[in-house]
Amino acid sequence: MNWSAIREIVAKDLRAFTRDRFYLLITVLGLVFYVAVFWVLPDTVDESIEMGIAQTGMDAYFNDLTGDAGLTITPYASATALEEAIRTGDGPAVGLAFPQDFITELAAGHQTDVTLFVTAEVPAEVRGALSSMVREMAYAAAGNPPLVTLPSEQEILLGVDRAGNQVSLRETMRPMFAFFMLMVEMMALATLVAAEIQQRTVIAILATPTTVADFLTAKAILGTLLAFSQAVLLMAAIGSFGTNTFVLLVSLFLGAILVTGFGLLAGSVGRDFISIIFWSVLFLIPLIIPSVAVLFPGTAAPWIQALPSWGLVDAIVGATAYGEGFPELVGPLLTLAAWCVVAFTAGLLVLKRRVVRL
Amino acid sequence: MIRKILLKDLSLGHRSPLILWALVLPVVMTLLIRMVFGSLFNTEPRLGIVDLGNSAIVVVAEQLEGIQLTFLDDPEELRRQVEEDNLDAGLVLEAGFDELVRSGAHPKLRFWVSGESLASDRIILGITAVDLVRTMSEVGSPVGVSIVAIGDQGLELSVRMLPLLVIMAVAIAGVMVPAASIIEEKTRRTIDALLVTPARLGDVLVAKGLLGAILAVLTGVVSLLLNGAFGTAPLATLLAVTLGAIMMAEIGLILGSWAPDTATMFAAWKGGVFLLLFPVLFTIWPTLPQWIAKLGPTYYFLQPIFELSVNGATLADVASQLAIAAAICLALLPIVIRFGRSMLVGEDKHEQPALTNV
Repeated sequence: MNWSAIREIVAKDLRAFTRDRFYLLITVLGLVFYVAVFWVLPDTVDESIEMGIAQTGMDAYFNDLTGDAGLTITPYASATALEEAIRTGDGPAVGLAFPQDFITELAAGHQTDVTLFVTAEVPAEVRGALSSMVREMAYAAAGNPPLVTLPSEQEILLGVDRAGNQVSLRETMRPMFAFFMLMVEMMALATLVAAEIQQRTVIAILATPTTVADFLTAKAILGTLLAFSQAVLLMAAIGSFGTNTFVLLVSLFLGAILVTGFGLLAGSVGRDFISIIFWSVLFLIPLIIPSVAVLFPGTAAPWIQALPSWGLVDAIVGATAYGEGFPELVGPLLTLAAWCVVAFTAGLLVLKRRVVRL
Repeated sequence: MIRKILLKDLSLGHRSPLILWALVLPVVMTLLIRMVFGSLFNTEPRLGIVDLGNSAIVVVAEQLEGIQLTFLDDPEELRRQVEEDNLDAGLVLEAGFDELVRSGAHPKLRFWVSGESLASDRIILGITAVDLVRTMSEVGSPVGVSIVAIGDQGLELSVRMLPLLVIMAVAIAGVMVPAASIIEEKTRRTIDALLVTPARLGDVLVAKGLLGAILAVLTGVVSLLLNGAFGTAPLATLLAVTLGAIMMAEIGLILGSWAPDTATMFAAWKGGVFLLLFPVLFTIWPTLPQWIAKLGPTYYFLQPIFELSVNGATLADVASQLAIAAAICLALLPIVIRFGRSMLVGEDKHEQPALTNV
């Protein structure tokens, strides 16, 4: 391996990459845009039902409810005040107005009425649940406890309790941002490779003591370097490096190798810049699916977990959102590494074939 | 001459990945947005039920609004699904459960909640489960709940995303196709060959612009049709799409004339696309200050399309906005000519092509 030649090719390509000041400026602007979007995304999860209450004589009951993580209760002096607050948007979207003698009437066995105020946006399940809550309160006040024995909280809860500590949209979007950055660099590499092939500068390079292996190694190093450095820069700018810096760096490095493999493929297959975009986007669509899948609750479908980028997304989410380290993430990282070998080998083989045939 | 150049580009179009992509994009985007955003921000609580004894509760549960129900056969499978957060909660109705409830034995409720579920969903599903059991009570509810709905129903997120779909469809075809076509002519030097014929540069630009505008109208219309959003005034909608397509094609001509190669074009697209897209943010999030959206030129055809398609506006309602869109199209014309001329000057600096006047 002629490392001197490899270094020269990488340096030449880096110069070509950075020479165009406009391209460089736009790349920086793109980075700034991703960072800006990240920081305006919500960093908390609203998992509470905000509710206004107009009642008298029921303070004890609602004081108990106020401690519940899923309910935020705002008291109002009267049903009219509550309705007005909801109507003007100054108050919550939902409110309950109890009659003054609610408890007394129920205890006396009389039928009574409660008004549930809701804005049009309040979903059906919230309306239903609040109606159910009022009914249960009424049954209890009338001396009819629940018909079942309720299990304890320990018996009910399965898995890690994340109430009040949910992973925000901003956190779950991290892999998508990193992935977009990697994919952009994949396209940049593909363009450089295609330009070498189409302009036949590769023939000139190979007329020197540089071998095909040197050329391929240089392109692979360049692609990985470009993708890795920009992904690291982005992740640093969005504050991703905390306690698991090393595992995140390893994930990004493997991710850079993965997209370099696809970049070499796209650059070898594509005949011009437009077809490179076409091929890159064809690769992008399946590869982006895992980063979309993590936005949804629950376990991703097996076919999504089988996609090459799943390991990268899983590792980034694990390291940044759940504070997981190497022991927990060894599975996804090994899967990612295996896909890196596949993509990289395929990319190198296809590129080698194109170069040799020139 | 314009017709000949246009027909040539159209006849070669099916070989161009970009044109194919521009045509496929509306379908892909519609599917993605319907799939992802149609449910991402509107997730309903997910309740799993295992019914081991033909419980009457199931019949009532099936009528619940706003709760996603999943019926499973095995309690252990239900427990696993809840633990993995594939369900927010799970309810097991043992054999003989209904009889035990009716007999007043207060059987223990077998109910699980996922630790990763939202606190609000836990409350909704917990109350709902208890209320479902209460339906078997022989004692009627002592309280009536009157629901008072306040205000109008807001638009669903997937509907508010409509301008995004339209701008993506119109901009990709309208901007990228003419820009890429001009750059391809420049880099392959076929533009020189064209200009030694009686064709003037103005003819070339008009033909390329028409190609982009026709494709943009086509993709814009397809996007609206796919989303069932052509509105009650289809001709007005078509006019708005056409103005948008012309505006985008003009930007494409400017970009194509200015950019020396496709890499620069793509870089400029990457950086500049936000200027075209940002008005859609204000439709997606209507609480943002709407005056900012008016700073974007695309607002003046996107907003009329939105008003016509979603809010049932008429041509008269959106005439002023469309007039501004038309004025922007006219204002862009001298810029198109200026950049077209500078393209000739730029070529002249490097080569000595026999170019005619614009």
